Amino acid sequence: MTDGPLIVQSDKSILLEVDHPRGDDARRAIAPFAELERAPEHIHTYRLTNLGLWNARAAGHDAEQVVDTLIEYSRYPVPHALLVDLAETMARYGRLRLVSHPTHGLVLESTDRAVLEEVLKSRRTTGMVGARLDDETVVVHPSERGHLKQVLVKLGWPAEDLAGYVDGEKHPIALSPTTKPRTPNEKAKDWAMRPYQAQAVDGFWHGGSGVVVLPCGAGKTIVGAAAMARSGTTTLILVTNTVSARQWRDELVRRTSLTEDEIGEYSGARKEIKPVTIATYQVLTTRRKGVYTHLELLDARDWGLVVYDEVHLLPAPVFRMTADLQARRRLGLTATLVREDGREDEVFSLIGPKRYDAPWKDIEAQGYIAPADCVEVRLTLPEHERMVYATAEPEDKYRLAACAPGKNRVVERIVASYPDDQVLVIGQYLDQLEELAEHLDAPLITGATTVRERQRLFEAFRSGEISRLVVSKVANFSIDLPEASVAVQVSGSFGSRQEEAQRLGRVMRPKSDGRTAHFYAVVARDTVDQEFAAHRQRFLAEQGYAYRIVDAEDLDAVA
Amino acid sequence: MASTPAPRTFTDAIRTRPDAALVALLRARPDLATPSPSTLRSLAARASSRTSLERALAHSDARTLQLLEAVLALSDGGPDPVSPERVVAAIGADRVGTETEPTATDAPDARAVVGQMIDAALEAALLWDAGEPGEPDLRPSPGLDEALGPYPAGLGPARPASEQPASLSVTDPAPEGDGQRRTSGDAFPPGAREVLDALAWGPPVGVVPPPGTGPRRAVDALVDAGLLLRSDARHVLLPRDVGLSLRGGRTHRSPELAAPRPEGRTVPAASADSDAVSAALELVRWVDRLIAAWEDEPPPVLRAGGLGVRELRRTAQAIGIDETTAAFVVELAAGAGLVTDDGDAPASYAPTTRADTWDELDDAARWALLVEPWAGSRRTPWQVGSRDEKGNVRAPLSPDLHRPWVPRLRGQVLSVLAEQPGTALGLEDVMTVLRWRTPRAVPPEPAVAGLLREAALLGVTGAGAISAPGRAFLAHVPDHLPGDARSDTALEDALRAVLPLEVEEVLLQGDLTGIVPGRPSMALARLLERAADAESRGAALTVRFTPASVTRALDHGTTADELLGELARRSPVPVPQPLEYLVRDTARRHEALRIGGASSYVRAADPTVLAGLVADPRLASLGLVRLAPTVLAASVPPAELHDALRERGLLSALEGPDGRVLGRLRAVPRVDRSGLGRRGTSSATTSPVTDEGRASLVARLRAADGGISADGWSPTDGWSPADGWSFADGGTPAAASAATGNGADRAGAAVGQTHAAARVAARAGRRGTDDPGEALGLLHDALRDGRRVWVEMVGGTGGLERRELKPLRLDGGRLRALDADREAELTIAVHRIASVSPAPEVEERPAR
Repeated sequence: MTDGPLIVQSDKSILLEVDHPRGDDARRAIAPFAELERAPEHIHTYRLTNLGLWNARAAGHDAEQVVDTLIEYSRYPVPHALLVDLAETMARYGRLRLVSHPTHGLVLESTDRAVLEEVLKSRRTTGMVGARLDDETVVVHPSERGHLKQVLVKLGWPAEDLAGYVDGEKHPIALSPTTKPRTPNEKAKDWAMRPYQAQAVDGFWHGGSGVVVLPCGAGKTIVGAAAMARSGTTTLILVTNTVSARQWRDELVRRTSLTEDEIGEYSGARKEIKPVTIATYQVLTTRRKGVYTHLELLDARDWGLVVYDEVHLLPAPVFRMTADLQARRRLGLTATLVREDGREDEVFSLIGPKRYDAPWKDIEAQGYIAPADCVEVRLTLPEHERMVYATAEPEDKYRLAACAPGKNRVVERIVASYPDDQVLVIGQYLDQLEELAEHLDAPLITGATTVRERQRLFEAFRSGEISRLVVSKVANFSIDLPEASVAVQVSGSFGSRQEEAQRLGRVMRPKSDGRTAHFYAVVARDTVDQEFAAHRQRFLAEQGYAYRIVDAEDLDAVA
Repeated sequence: MASTPAPRTFTDAIRTRPDAALVALLRARPDLATPSPSTLRSLAARASSRTSLERALAHSDARTLQLLEAVLALSDGGPDPVSPERVVAAIGADRVGTETEPTATDAPDARAVVGQMIDAALEAALLWDAGEPGEPDLRPSPGLDEALGPYPAGLGPARPASEQPASLSVTDPAPEGDGQRRTSGDAFPPGAREVLDALAWGPPVGVVPPPGTGPRRAVDALVDAGLLLRSDARHVLLPRDVGLSLRGGRTHRSPELAAPRPEGRTVPAASADSDAVSAALELVRWVDRLIAAWEDEPPPVLRAGGLGVRELRRTAQAIGIDETTAAFVVELAAGAGLVTDDGDAPASYAPTTRADTWDELDDAARWALLVEPWAGSRRTPWQVGSRDEKGNVRAPLSPDLHRPWVPRLRGQVLSVLAEQPGTALGLEDVMTVLRWRTPRAVPPEPAVAGLLREAALLGVTGAGAISAPGRAFLAHVPDHLPGDARSDTALEDALRAVLPLEVEEVLLQGDLTGIVPGRPSMALARLLERAADAESRGAALTVRFTPASVTRALDHGTTADELLGELARRSPVPVPQPLEYLVRDTARRHEALRIGGASSYVRAADPTVLAGLVADPRLASLGLVRLAPTVLAASVPPAELHDALRERGLLSALEGPDGRVLGRLRAVPRVDRSGLGRRGTSSATTSPVTDEGRASLVARLRAADGGISADGWSPTDGWSPADGWSFADGGTPAAASAATGNGADRAGAAVGQTHAAARVAARAGRRGTDDPGEALGLLHDALRDGRRVWVEMVGGTGGLERRELKPLRLDGGRLRALDADREAELTIAVHRIASVSPAPEVEERPAR
């Protein structure tokens, strides 16, 4: 028995003792093949999954390396069955390869005839493949490249896609060494990619297609811009919503050689197709009479690169469309590979394996993300509200608890204790938010706010003109509020972990003065609100953010 | 034995054996001793009976079968005695070294191995030695030829030397050097050699090609030359002498003198032990949960016995395992006496009082408690879910899942693994070895697979190889192999020795999880079991605290402070704030509603009336408790309370049942098993026959043989038919009283009294017999020696008939014999033969 930092469990989870002298080495060693499941204070839990192991194979690690790593760092003997299983799983990747045949075009080839037989016999592959060239090769219809890969992952024999990509239409893009001023009185600043961003771009480019996992606020947009510069081709960027689209455009104009005229927006409001086009998922998935009306966008130009922002939110129809885009280079950007709908395998097969991943804490330690202080404020409901709650219908309970009137006072107190900070108040229910906005005398942004108004308010918030902002869940995705240092969440949408990540992301952009960010969640005690909060907070704790619980009555002592 | 002449028959060989050799025979073939044979002759007859031989062959390994086939093939009536040297050469043992390894040092070893095998086969009376001392002449035991089939070792029929052709040479296209009596000159049509080669290694039967073809000409020529025999119109046979010659005098192509050693997969001992430990601990936990589940809800017993499909599924879910595994766990727990049929009507399965002992044992002792009964268990849980002949699904715990051969097979399977420590053997590997060990009785593959799986679940094997606790366990398997010495605590100590060190600490984390970086101590495990839900088990334990789990701990009577204190003491880091909040919040809600027991209550509109009652010392026996200003609870039934209050002069009214809370206290069902020892269910199932027992049986047989022992048999002690019918007093009292073996008793009861008495007395002193086994032995001997016997048979009218017969053939339950007096052949069903005795001329044995 060695005194290693790892404990490998037979259920394929791996426990890593963080404070162990060799803890850091072990973490670096297992990062390529194990998925970090949770990272609380003392012991982190990783998990070996098929996708994780295949990701490792795609990155060039072999089973022997993986086994050696586990044995080297493990404190107890590693379960034998696990090692055997692991080697078998890894050996499954790459038995089948998609390659370009000089005369027959796209073919699926295998060195293992039995495997090829097995997958060809499956009913799910019928119609995707054409003539059998010999025992080990079969023609694949180019239009089915994505679907075939999807099916093969489901069958447990993921194919390695070596068929390459179309070059795409050339369009020179370069990163500019200084930022372009946004407003006339702003000065151009020098900037450079952070080391991990550069590594991420390299990782992606060498891998061909794939996903880069970076925490919110770690500069995923810059990774996208750098990938575009590396590609030097026309690019299609798919983002979650219009605000996000505008932000992408601003960032690209600010940090690359692209001008506003070269960047088009393809959304509900505008339908421009330019060398670099930013489209929203929503417009792509719009259907009229059962037909996707904007599919032509995908073929409007000979795109050399397709960028997917927030891959974990990619709607199902986009997967289907992406399946047809397999000949183009694809870059996925996300903060987490965890999808609440469990479609991780489709991301793997259609966009590509994970190409870069850095744990939040690491990047935070390097000073690129603001450290955060998470506090849950528990509010004891007054007697009469508890009675109302206790007798309410189950479907109304969450709303009642989330909108408890007592929360307003708590929020006021929190906001009051940060007179000099930029404070965001985030919530789910509009009437509650309206009331809060009134109480705090702060502007409110909801889904009904026009894009122009939204951008004006964001700009004002950014410049410090206003320091309080109340937002509904529109703020969840890709709005960039660099100076928000305090966020208060009054109600969330049930227990979504994703949402919590996004909201935390709001305050975790690096602060110019290195201040600690604060994240408050106000919760009504002994209600479903508290249960949902517990679920969301589990995510925070698992990400390594210790949170404190404070009674609303004791708030003054804390703040 | 040195002074005795060579035995002429198998029966003689048995009868002239020294006592020690007889004991050895009974040990080697235990079926011969049950029921006890009455005489040595009947012992010999039984030893050469088809049933007993089949049984002995079924237990013989591949090399012994090769030996027997070789001896059988060589005993072709030729003049040369079958010496061990010839057998060694026939099997090819003399070439083992030279062929496989050039530097062979094991060639002499192979010879020695064959020598030992011969000794063992002689001991087991599968062979007998007809030679003079120092010049062994091995013979197969009678009946062996039938048991081994018509073509031993794939060799055809033997024929007398006179019928063998002078030349065994085939000069087409070129003779090979192995023809022994080769003269050149005979030319065979092309293809003749191929025909012979095709038949050389058996089976020796060939189909005659159609007329007019080349092969047909070759076959015809071979038949003409006496190299092939025509068995019928369509088939030819390769005679034994030709076959042996083609094989270069060998009976077997490759000797299988050593058991195969499958490659397997090398497993480091640490891996095997750690996997075994995880399995053992897991299993113990499963049984723990099973007891808990059945304690709460005892499942009903099916009418035909056993646990129903739905109950099994529910149990599997409660334990958190699949149904196949659950069936095994249920069987195991029942085998250890932890759960049983409670015998109530309707019957259900419930934990026994032994389950209470279980609670106090540590993991290693619990494991020992489970694994020890498994050693002798005859249960076949792997059959659960399959259907029996009637199409009924076999249920766990049903009487149907009982096979007497299971312990033996278990021992065999484990011994295969034990012989290759550090090697993981799969099902196929184990089957290969088992097939070699008993080629004529290959164990069913599902049973072997089932036993391997059980061994893995128990931690007897780890990662497919035998583990250290598994080796200790082998000592407990019936007729175990040489292994660790058996002692009461050896098993649990063996597991304890490989258990990882206990850890007393749990690392508490902010996400409400706790991690024990190793095997938790009993106290810690109990604490966490109660207060948290396990998320991942293995080398370490990960638990999560949830409101439900904390509630569970509070239900066990722990307070929030105690729980937090206990956790703080066991955690090297401070209790995280979220966990503290969780515990306190849960405790607050936990205590918000309180429940107590009361038998009756008093309520009144005026609180002052009640205040007086509580304070009244005369009413102390009512156990009045004030719950609210206007409500009192009492611990006595309503009627008693009512009466007591009336006595005090208070007018009270009994309330109807509406709204009355009845607390039902359910007693935990237990079936008393205290009468049983903690261990020992396994030892009761086997009652090995000891050598003392065998020796006393041999002594009885000797005596029954008329005092004629190997050392003093008197040929003058004659017997004539007349004698037999004259109420002869030839039997000495001692001999008569000795004739109380089972066979004699049975015979005496079966036949008419006077005749029986006469015959018993006669037989005691003479050598006639009405014991069926012995009678068959006599017939076999007579058949072999071409002698005549007196046969008493039941005639067509039911009367007894005596004839002097010369047996010609004995098979298929029929005796064909020649009646010399009447010069007629007759066939008698063996069951009609009442007794057989040697005809007088048998006595005129030439002295050697």
